[in-house]
Amino acid sequence: MKKILLVDDEEGIQLLYQEEFQDEGYEVVSAFTGEEALEKFKSETPDLVILDIQMPGMNGIEVLRQMKMIAPQLPIILSTAYHEYTQDLSAWASDEFIVKSPDLQHLKEAVRKHLG
Amino acid sequence: MPELRKDPVLGRWIIIAQERAKRPTDFVVAEAPVTGGFCPLCPGNENTTPPEVLAYGRPYGAPANSPGWQVRVVPNKYPALVIEGDLDRQGEGLYDKMNGIGAHEVVIESPRHEDIFAKMDLAHMVLVFQAFRARILDLERDPRFRYVLVFKNYGRAAGASLEHSHSQLVALPILPRMIVSELQGTLEYYNYKERCIFCDIIRQEIQQQVRVVCQNELFITITPFAPRTPFEMWILPMNHESGYHTQNDEQLAALAVIFSETLRRLDACIPGVPYNFVLHTQPLHSENMKHFHWHFEIVPKLTSIAGFEWGSGFYINPMPPEEAALYLREALVKGRQEARP
Repeated sequence: MKKILLVDDEEGIQLLYQEEFQDEGYEVVSAFTGEEALEKFKSETPDLVILDIQMPGMNGIEVLRQMKMIAPQLPIILSTAYHEYTQDLSAWASDEFIVKSPDLQHLKEAVRKHLG
Repeated sequence: MPELRKDPVLGRWIIIAQERAKRPTDFVVAEAPVTGGFCPLCPGNENTTPPEVLAYGRPYGAPANSPGWQVRVVPNKYPALVIEGDLDRQGEGLYDKMNGIGAHEVVIESPRHEDIFAKMDLAHMVLVFQAFRARILDLERDPRFRYVLVFKNYGRAAGASLEHSHSQLVALPILPRMIVSELQGTLEYYNYKERCIFCDIIRQEIQQQVRVVCQNELFITITPFAPRTPFEMWILPMNHESGYHTQNDEQLAALAVIFSETLRRLDACIPGVPYNFVLHTQPLHSENMKHFHWHFEIVPKLTSIAGFEWGSGFYINPMPPEEAALYLREALVKGRQEARP
């Protein structure tokens, strides 16, 4: 079973995404902060990361750059409510940039694209 | 007493707030620490950028989008304006609108992540200026575009989102308001005096020697009479030229010499200061203009824009340009003296 590391500080988003992606047949591991995400990235060896940007402490862009240093080929999807982060060139390191929406269709398609 | 000064080209007023006068060391530059990590602009990571539109320095026969380049230009992965489509100009009552067509490109100025534009090898800086020229000439072939805006954001406070040295180009289907105002201001002056106002500014500044920062045979750097921010500087060609794209390699080499010196003087006054530079050049598809004079404007990010500035269009500057020029002229001399044992 493919494993997704889901990084988001909002509990509601965590619950919703966990349920949806478990239904799609993926194992989901949660992290609520950037620091926790980096620890689980190393210990859980996920196949894909869904990564929020605005979080307390280390933000998602910093986490993205650290994760890509460790595993450049591992797909990372930035998932944020703020489209303006597309102007941050560091976001180019991600494999997908998705603006959060109640409709998870785009996010699900992106996950399927990278995990098959 | 504060002094109101009028920019002779734009008619824009600024306030020199002399009672707030400061020394360069009084300007605090609080830059966020760079966290580092994976960089999408570094060699070896070419697959994280869109396919390049220009690259210099790669060995002959090496494939595109592979390492080995010295300067590389790529489309912005998330462009502000998109290249495909028609403008579809429309009116909605009295309002005008059109599709957001344009080209948004990133110039990766060096393969070395830690390189700083101000301290680059001069030959390398010339490659960056050649890349600007090549992209303007190429984008001019597209009849939809009226102007190519070339700019650089250095430092987080000035809008740079990634520390790897880069600048940007945006090809626009309309003339930016700033350029329209400059074209109008310079044309009015030319119609009245039959001379280019920038040529007159250069002549007067050389004669007065109070706002000249440095110069060489082909270029001069001045602090303008009515600067928006402390240490604002303009780099102008000594000879009348309206279009950057017509500069030959020898001129671009002289530009690199003065640009490097200018930025090093600024950095010596206020180490690590964030800044923006913007190229002001003639619109695309136009012949040489007798009234317009291309130049770079360098604007350090040292003051904030708040209600007064938004409401009035005035800028408050606590550093008279004459004092700024003095500090800038002495900067490297002081640095050399202090370096002596």
